[in-house]
Amino acid sequence: MAQIELTKLRKEFSTEDEYIVAVEDMDLQIEDGEFLVFVGPSGCGKTTTLRCIAGLETATDGQITFDDVDVTDQRARDRDVAMVFQNYALYPHLSVEDNIGFPLRISTKLSTEEIDERVIETAELLGIEELLKQKPKELSGGQQQRVALGRAIIRDPEVFLMDEPLSNLDAKLRSDMRTELQELQQQLDVTTVYVTHDQTEAMAMGDRIAIMDDGMLQQVGTADDVYRQPTNEFVAGFIGSPNINLFTAEVEGETLRGPAGFTYSLDDPSMVEGRERVRVGIRPEDLYVASDGSVPSEINVVEHMGNENFLYAEMGDVELTVRSGSQIRPEENSTVIFGFDEEDLYLFDATTKESIKTKTGETALEHEQFEQAQQ
Amino acid sequence: MMDEPQRETALKFGSYAFLLAVVTLIVVPLYWMIVAATIPQSELFSSSIPFLPGTQFLTNFEALQNRLNFVRTIWNSTLIAVVYTLLSMLLCSMAGFAFAKYEFKYKEPLFYFVLATLVLPIQALVVPLFLLVSTLDLLNTYLAVILPWAANPLGIFLMRQNMQSLPDALLESARMDGATELQIFYKIALPTMIPSLAALAVILFINQWRLFLYPLVVLQEEAMFTIPIALSQLVGAQRVAFEQIMVGTTLAIVPIALLFIFLQRYFIKGILAGSVKQ
Repeated sequence: MAQIELTKLRKEFSTEDEYIVAVEDMDLQIEDGEFLVFVGPSGCGKTTTLRCIAGLETATDGQITFDDVDVTDQRARDRDVAMVFQNYALYPHLSVEDNIGFPLRISTKLSTEEIDERVIETAELLGIEELLKQKPKELSGGQQQRVALGRAIIRDPEVFLMDEPLSNLDAKLRSDMRTELQELQQQLDVTTVYVTHDQTEAMAMGDRIAIMDDGMLQQVGTADDVYRQPTNEFVAGFIGSPNINLFTAEVEGETLRGPAGFTYSLDDPSMVEGRERVRVGIRPEDLYVASDGSVPSEINVVEHMGNENFLYAEMGDVELTVRSGSQIRPEENSTVIFGFDEEDLYLFDATTKESIKTKTGETALEHEQFEQAQQ
Repeated sequence: MMDEPQRETALKFGSYAFLLAVVTLIVVPLYWMIVAATIPQSELFSSSIPFLPGTQFLTNFEALQNRLNFVRTIWNSTLIAVVYTLLSMLLCSMAGFAFAKYEFKYKEPLFYFVLATLVLPIQALVVPLFLLVSTLDLLNTYLAVILPWAANPLGIFLMRQNMQSLPDALLESARMDGATELQIFYKIALPTMIPSLAALAVILFINQWRLFLYPLVVLQEEAMFTIPIALSQLVGAQRVAFEQIMVGTTLAIVPIALLFIFLQRYFIKGILAGSVKQ
């Protein structure tokens, strides 16, 4: 187990006529035993960061330490890091047994008996003991995934790195494996860095989530933090499903005026003082039908999910998504007025896109009530 | 007009007839070689052409052995071809691996340089190579034949092309598992390349086996002759010992046929299947 620290990490790629900064100015501390998830759109630099930690890429600048030991210039094989690849990268000519035992055979002086014993232990942990004699090509995707995990686990490494390990599995298996991976990580208590482009996966799995865009770290925090207190419009837009509704509104004193007659009077106008316009964000789940609301809209499509409905509407030229109870079933093309609570309102600077206001509702208070009810 | 089934039958008939013609073209000379190796030369030029193999093979072979010590010749050829093939496979796959999977300065120009050497005809190289070999005091040694083409440009090219299909993740995975670059090469890259290596082995072996001009120049003692050089000695000014040439040729084909049959089972596709999910 190790604490990982990235200091001013920078990675550039240059080809003959191009020059790309993949990761820029990254400062990040990953705690001992933590499950940290890097998430962001493709090309945001999350995989590159992971590969720098792995030692598969050399940092252009900056420093990487494991438990205060500088590993920036160490080769991958000297770092005591195990990695699970997106496509599993199993050795095709070796049996499952030899695949899992490979790291021990290569880099330790353990006897064959000891290695065999640990292979069996690992296989039992992952429930693949009956597959040991098979070749990778005879296995299903989920089984291959387990073998890849086994090969990472058996070394008992300081750090686990996972590069989109679930993205090749079908939806059902993916959510099963997600839970299983979390349990496994807790059981082994190894510092884990996980990369995904799927924000749901990130929210569900990570102790903390690091959101990246365009080579820059945008925010690091718990799922609650990044959902409720995003540092900027990008994070607010990336986290949450369906996506947050965003539009521009003009500031007139304490009133926000948006497209198609959107008007909202702020209880606390001080936060928009001196601004001409702001970006407004409201999460689909925070909109509700209210005749005195401030969001007039025309319903385009209603998706019935059974337990809830997704309403796709338009407010002028702004598309809105509303997540409502399954009893709310407006006619298509009808006009519905939605309202929201000010504590759920997000405001962002119109030019810098930095947050001005995020959710202020007290989840802690509600959680206290929940805990009292439990007793 | 023919209807559909008739058309199909006609097509099938046509393609089988074509295949049969091709097979005949290949088999007849081989068969004739065997026939000619098993009859006395006198019968070879008699008015009635023999169609069936005779019983003179051993007699003909004895004549060949007495004249040239052909057993020794076969040994020379085999030793040279086997050592050459093994050495060349090692060098070609190492170079191919480096060209396919590593980044280094002047990689591209270097590779094109290797490819460019392919267009040099052997005739242009014989004299300089002879001088080099004689300076190194290697004339009349096996090494004189083995070394010059051990780093075979065609082999390097083939192995590079095949190694490029090796997924990078596989090598990186091994690197993370603690393997050194050399271990990655012989524990991961080579075993997954067995079909390509088998094909390369056949090409290299055959190339060396039938090499004539260059060995003729550097192997001057009869005890060192390879099969093609030895057989060329049978073409005299007055008499050509056809029956002995045919015995030698028949024997020369056997190892190649065996090699091919033995390696054929490695020419199976899809040994990489299941390593990475596409």
